[in-house]
Amino acid sequence: MSSFICKRFSSTSSQGLKKTALFDLHIELGATMVPFAGYSMPLLYKGQTHVESHKWTRTNAGVFDVSHMLQSSLQGEGSLKFLERITPTDFSLIKDHNASLSVFLNENGGIVDDTMITKVGADDFYIVNNAGCADRVKSFIPEQLSKSGYECEWKMIPDRSLLALQGPMSSKILQNILAPSQTLNSLSFGQRRLFKLFNGVEIQVARSGYTGEDGFEISMLDKDAVDFAKLILDNELTKPIGLAARDSLRLEAGLCLYGNELTESITPVEAALNWIISRSRRNLTDPNAIKFNGYEKIIDQLKNKSSKELRAAFKYTGRGPAARKGAKVYLPDKQTLIGTVTSGSASPSLNNINIGQVYVKNGYHKAGTELVVEIRGKFYPITIEKSPLVPTHYYRTS
Amino acid sequence: MFSVARTAFQKNSLKLFLRCQSTNALTKTQLPFTYTASGPSLIKYTTEHEWIAAHEDGTAFIGITKYAADALGDVTYVELPEAGSDIAEGDTISSIESVKSASEIYQPIAGSLTEANQNLENSPQLINEDPLGAGWIAKIKIKDAKDLENPELLSLEQYEKSLAEDNH
Repeated sequence: MSSFICKRFSSTSSQGLKKTALFDLHIELGATMVPFAGYSMPLLYKGQTHVESHKWTRTNAGVFDVSHMLQSSLQGEGSLKFLERITPTDFSLIKDHNASLSVFLNENGGIVDDTMITKVGADDFYIVNNAGCADRVKSFIPEQLSKSGYECEWKMIPDRSLLALQGPMSSKILQNILAPSQTLNSLSFGQRRLFKLFNGVEIQVARSGYTGEDGFEISMLDKDAVDFAKLILDNELTKPIGLAARDSLRLEAGLCLYGNELTESITPVEAALNWIISRSRRNLTDPNAIKFNGYEKIIDQLKNKSSKELRAAFKYTGRGPAARKGAKVYLPDKQTLIGTVTSGSASPSLNNINIGQVYVKNGYHKAGTELVVEIRGKFYPITIEKSPLVPTHYYRTS
Repeated sequence: MFSVARTAFQKNSLKLFLRCQSTNALTKTQLPFTYTASGPSLIKYTTEHEWIAAHEDGTAFIGITKYAADALGDVTYVELPEAGSDIAEGDTISSIESVKSASEIYQPIAGSLTEANQNLENSPQLINEDPLGAGWIAKIKIKDAKDLENPELLSLEQYEKSLAEDNH
C-alpha cells in the first residue's frame, strides 16, 4: 500500500513548528499532531475515527483549537474607509458587535483571504484571518495602508487563543459555565460580545463557526485557554475534534477553504460569494465614493454575468472513489472539459456519498446539471447541487 | 520488595498478552483461512502493509493489515480489481478510500486475478472491521510458488518487528 496519497496533512517532521497554548492538552488527549500552516495541530484524537468525530459534532458538540488563526484589530478614524478599499462589504451598515464574512481583495479583484470582521465600535474592528494566509495578510495590509493613506492602525493580537465550540449542544454547554447573569439566548448568529465565566474569567464570544451548526468561536487570553478548554470538555456531550473532521464538516456546509476554493486569481463573484458584496457598494455614482479593489471587474461580472467559471457544489449519483482537488469534470460525453474539482470527499452525514466543490464553466453551475468526473481514467456521474449539501443550523434571534 | 516484584511481573505478563493478541494475524474463521481445511500453507506480509495468504493449490488471498486499516481510518470506498487479468508484482490492483485520503494497493506477487471481494462494494467498512478476514480484497492464482520465497516478503514476526521499528 502506498504512503497515503492525496493527503493534505502529512505527518512529517515537527521541527520549527509553532505551538498553540493548548498543545500540551492535545497531547494529553491523545491527539495525532500534524504540521498545518506552520503550527503543530491536532488531526484526530484518540478513541475517535474521523467519521465518529464528524458525526459527534453534528449531533452533540465538538471543541476545535483554532488558535493558529490570525487575530488582529483595526482601529482609528480611517478604518471604515480602509475596509471599504480592501473589502466589498459595507461595514457602515453593520451594527456594533456584529460580524460579517468578507474577503480581502487584491487590485485585480482576486481574493487575498476570506475573513471574519467584527465591528466592535465606530472606528474599531476585530479581524480573524486564515493561518495559512497569515504571512500574506501581514504584508498585504501594511502595503494597502501605506498606499491608501487612511488614518488607522492595524495590530496583531498575539496573546489570545481561539477555540470553536460547534454543534447542536454548544449553547447548552457554554451557558452552563457562564456567570449567572449572562445569557446566550440573545446572541444571534454573526454577533460577538464579551461574556463572563462563573469564575470571573472574561471571554469574547462570537456566534459563528465553520461547520454549518450552531456554535461559537471564543477568544480568550492564552493564560486562560487551558482552563477554559478543560471546563468546556468536562461533560459527556463535548469531545475535542481535529482538523480532519473540520474539513469534512465545512465541505458539507458548502463553505470555502482558502487555497482550494479561493485564491488570488478568483473573484468573489466567481466564488459564488455575491452576498458578501453589499448592495450599497455596487452602483457607485458618487465620484467620492470609495471603490473596492478590483471594482470594475467585479461589477462587470455581477451585472453582465460575465464570469468564465463559477464555484458550485456537486454530489455523486452512485458510488465511486472521491473526486479530490484537481480532478477534471466533463460533460456526459466524457470529452468536453467543463471544470476542475477544488475539494471533495465522502460525506459522513450523507451516508458517505461523495460530495465536493468544483469550478465549472459559466452556464453549467446550475443545480441539476449532469456531469461526469474523471478519477484514474474512469468516469463517475455527478450532479450539480444547491449548496449547502447538508442543511445548516445557524441560530438567529429574529 | 515483594510488591515491587509483583508490579514488574504484571507488566511483563501484560506485554506477553499483547503479543499473543497480535492483530495482524489472519482471521481463522474467514475465507482467506478456511479456503482449505488446513488453512493457508504460507502467510506473508509486505512493508507496504499488505498480506498474502497462499494455499496449496496456488490460490492466494490478498488484503491490507490491521495496522494499515487503522492508519487509514474509516474506509468509505474500495475500488475493486477486475477478475481475469494478469498482474505483475508491484502493479496497482485496488485503491482504498477513506474520508481524507486514497491509498493504492499493490500486487505483492505475480499472478492472475481470479476474484475480487464483491462484499466490499456495499460494505467497504469490512476493511476496518476485519482486514485480515472478511475484508480481503483479491483472490489470485500465483504464477510461480517460488516467488513466495522472495526475501522482501516478511513473516508475521518480521512484519510486526518492522512496525515497532517504524514507531521509534
